[in-house]
Amino acid sequence: MSLTYLEAIREAQAHALRDDPRVFIYGQDVGNFGGAFKATKNLAKEFPGRVLDSPISEDAMVGLAVGAAIEGMRPIIEMQFADFSVVGFNQIVNQAATLFWRTQIPCPITVRLPFGGTSGSGPFHSQCIEAIYAHYPGLIVLTPATVEDAYAMLLEAVALDDPVIFCEHKFLYYHLKAEKLPSEALPIGKARIAREGRDLTVVTYSAMVHEALEAAKELSSEGWEIEIVDLRSVKPLDTDTIVASVARTGKLLCVGEAWPWGGVTAEIISRVTSEGFGLLDAPPQRLNAKDTPVPYHPNLWAAHRPTARSVAAAARNLLRS
Amino acid sequence: MPQIPIIMPQLGESIAEANIVQFLVKPGDKVVADQNLIEVETNKATMSVTSPCSGKIENFSAELNESYTVGAVLGYIEATKEEAARLGLDIAPPKSGDSDRISRSETNGSRTRVQPTVRGLPVPANAAGASYLSPRLKARMTELGLSAADLSGVAGSGAAGRVTVEDFEKFIAHVEQQKISGASSMRVAVADAMRRSWTRPLATVGLPVQLDSVLAHRKNQNPKPGPALYALRALAIALAENSAPAGRLVGNKIVHPGSIDVGVAVEAEDGVLVPVIRNADKKSLKDLTQRYNELIDLARQRKLPADATGGSIATVTNYGTFGLTWATPIPLPEQTLVLGMGAGRKVPFWDETKNQFVPVTESNLTLSFDHRVLDGGAAGRLLQRIGELMKQPEKL
Repeated sequence: MSLTYLEAIREAQAHALRDDPRVFIYGQDVGNFGGAFKATKNLAKEFPGRVLDSPISEDAMVGLAVGAAIEGMRPIIEMQFADFSVVGFNQIVNQAATLFWRTQIPCPITVRLPFGGTSGSGPFHSQCIEAIYAHYPGLIVLTPATVEDAYAMLLEAVALDDPVIFCEHKFLYYHLKAEKLPSEALPIGKARIAREGRDLTVVTYSAMVHEALEAAKELSSEGWEIEIVDLRSVKPLDTDTIVASVARTGKLLCVGEAWPWGGVTAEIISRVTSEGFGLLDAPPQRLNAKDTPVPYHPNLWAAHRPTARSVAAAARNLLRS
Repeated sequence: MPQIPIIMPQLGESIAEANIVQFLVKPGDKVVADQNLIEVETNKATMSVTSPCSGKIENFSAELNESYTVGAVLGYIEATKEEAARLGLDIAPPKSGDSDRISRSETNGSRTRVQPTVRGLPVPANAAGASYLSPRLKARMTELGLSAADLSGVAGSGAAGRVTVEDFEKFIAHVEQQKISGASSMRVAVADAMRRSWTRPLATVGLPVQLDSVLAHRKNQNPKPGPALYALRALAIALAENSAPAGRLVGNKIVHPGSIDVGVAVEAEDGVLVPVIRNADKKSLKDLTQRYNELIDLARQRKLPADATGGSIATVTNYGTFGLTWATPIPLPEQTLVLGMGAGRKVPFWDETKNQFVPVTESNLTLSFDHRVLDGGAAGRLLQRIGELMKQPEKL
């Protein structure tokens, strides 16, 4: 058996529906159509009355989910694209994120955001907006980079009593495969060392983990050993694992597919300079998408986002500094 | 004629680069739009890079059997202006001085888009270079109690020769393999004082003085003052006349000495101690001699009382005791001046009145100073004055 990242997400949802009668799925075309990316394929048939089509209103979708959560349910909301979740922003950040603080009633909703760029998708179907949600206290923001994590972390997201923004990368949907689903995983909030190294730490998450791994392979042939930290969860952020890695290497490069301004990479650098200044043997660097809307044209898109090539180039500069 | 880049196209999802297998045309060839130009190979298939427009191949920057990333420029086509305009590539590449043009047109109001206010810092934020110590290196050196001077023997492998933390660890490992003995606390204290002192621009002036009158005067004294005490007393008198040369520069202010307390450098086991004669301008040579001799003895035994060290405004060092005739001593870090005295030697001296050479005993006086506080002229005048005073030892 071989499973893709997308199939793992479908399997996790089936698992959650099977295990917990409080779980239901709500979103545009998630029912008989099986979702825009087929992440809920056949689930409506398998779990009648629990995989429900919503109107085309992200606002209403999240609002309904918050209400259902108050009544004791555990809804999974599917956004067709992360980009559209901002239409439901008010419900997510003002209602869901603050509910427990205001009322002591937990808000166990999971909002699935298919996010990140794919070739030719343009400005409205490519955005990485994890940092915006991470900004708000009360939200958990997860960014799995592997098939195994996609499965295990989605299950854990549903089980958590806090509202979870589950960022699943569209570029990884079909490209990533695993032999089997995991039976255990690291706890939420714990980063993973995706590759061990001694010369430089790359901290990244989601699809960029794979660009970084590719870059590390290239740099390894030049004699550099790159350590890669896969954050898994951008909020909470595992500062300890990051600082421990910088303690081993002395050099930090943060890579994110999101825009640079006030983002996750900026937060990591801020933490490392505050808590581990004396560990740095070079100014910490970061590599992000260009600070422009995401272009349609495949060539422009390829130049807009960090790639293995640009990660390797940035790493080389830092290694030689 | 505009030059249109030939770009490695997106060859399919998840393909980031492709290898150049064959050039299907050569520079100078006329090509039409969509004509196959270069055969490339990905890990999935062999494909062609096509011409973006019609024109003439100007050059290929890509090389055979090399791999290029999607979006990389592989070469250029010389195309007509019309062709370039059709592709939206008829904008001239930016030239130097372009930013000036933008700002001018902005003030004319013809350009309404928001421009970044800062286009790069006026100073390099990542000032790297031989003298750059990273936070990690500094932390590591602090941990081991090292200062920058300890790294002078390390050739850095970092940018512009800076010492990286790896260079440092290799250096430490290398040092540990050699014969090591602990430096005494005195040695470490002297080293630290000299390192701090050396952060200033120091200079030295010198003057030969005849010591015969000093030596004659000394013979008749009991107890006998050391030759350095004559120099010390002369320095004290000269500074009492004008204390400005012994001032210290702190920021944009000169801090004047409160009293003329002058130290004497004494070699003690594995270092130098500096006992201090307080108010050396107010007591005669005769009155100072006993105290001076006592302090020298105590210093040699390393038993100086606390009130006899520190707080001096200048130091006298008699390197003549090592047989040296000339040296450039370093003033203590909290002082501006150090007066040195070389060994006395018999030398021929041309006597104008006798019109012949006569034997005299001559010694070099040197004055090393913080050049921020005084210049060669002021230092020279002070040294001349000291020389004059030493010619009349009975007045000291």
